[in-house]
Amino acid sequence: MAVTSQAERLPCGVRLEELLAQVADGAPPADAAHQSGCPYCQTALRRLRRSWADVTELAREPVNVPSRLTTQIMERVKALAAQTADFILLGHARGETRVSHAVVVRITQRLARTIPGVVFASARVEPHDSPLPDRVDLSIRLVVTFGPALHHVADAVRTIVRRQTPRLTGAQLDNIDITIDDITS
Amino acid sequence: MNGQVEDSILVRAAQDGDVDAFEELVRRYQSSIYRVALRMLGSRADAQDAVQETFVRAWRALPRFRHDSAVSTWLYRIVTRRALDKIASRRTTGTLDEVGLEAGPDLAQAAEHQERLRAVRQAIANLPPEQRAALVLREFAGLSYQEVAQVLDASVPAIKTRIHRARLTIVQQTSSWQ
Repeated sequence: MAVTSQAERLPCGVRLEELLAQVADGAPPADAAHQSGCPYCQTALRRLRRSWADVTELAREPVNVPSRLTTQIMERVKALAAQTADFILLGHARGETRVSHAVVVRITQRLARTIPGVVFASARVEPHDSPLPDRVDLSIRLVVTFGPALHHVADAVRTIVRRQTPRLTGAQLDNIDITIDDITS
Repeated sequence: MNGQVEDSILVRAAQDGDVDAFEELVRRYQSSIYRVALRMLGSRADAQDAVQETFVRAWRALPRFRHDSAVSTWLYRIVTRRALDKIASRRTTGTLDEVGLEAGPDLAQAAEHQERLRAVRQAIANLPPEQRAALVLREFAGLSYQEVAQVLDASVPAIKTRIHRARLTIVQQTSSWQ
């Protein structure tokens, strides 16, 4: 340990810990009357403030996040998500077409976000007990701005999703459940 | 995506498999997580690796996230553990490849200023890992003692002791203090 107990006390008996907490945390002095008249405390405080100013400055120094960091992270996350994603199966005379649930979800989210008042939309393909592999239920969660009637927003989302998601993905939709989780001002 | 959407809603969406919601969480927190990694590891390349691993682990661990702590606390816990693992796997300590900001117009003054900041970085790099983690979370991520204790799974008095030791060491190593 670089610090000895002896080095942690000033000749007046005040512990450096107390003065450092005062400098670094803005904590009040334990004995303000002693401190204001004590040359040891005053000298120590001056030196500690000078030293600690560099730490404070380093803490304020901007840190440049590598420009491709988000992309690198999301490439790995999307690869992981793709490994576990289920598919809808579109039959065809000359082969099968599989569309990931993740794709159905993303298209649904994008459609929902085109409705005025929708701030955020997430979607999930719900487990479906139909024997038909292209039929799914959707569960959509929304955050909506304060103002529009919530049921109108939900109806508009349901309408556009029911119309456009099958056209864009080939999925056949049964139930579309919508939950409004929050409103924003 | 709108910044008004609460973290908890983004987490729930990500738990449902929504990668866009997770990407928004990445954008919100990558800067503060990177700062902690950089100050703990002193190397941009290592910090970048640690941040990537942090978010990939977070994605994998999403099903177990119970919403009983803040997302930031959860991410700080993961990045701190990753950084401590990396430090433990190093053969030597104090490998700093980080450089400071561009020098200003007064070159001599700027050089002296950069030297002081470099000395602080080096002093942090020389701290024992547990002290370094506590100090970085307190001084560079701005967490309270209570939050640092939560991230590091330690008591508040233990964290205060670690941070005090770390502060004293830095003050001693970066000035002529005795």
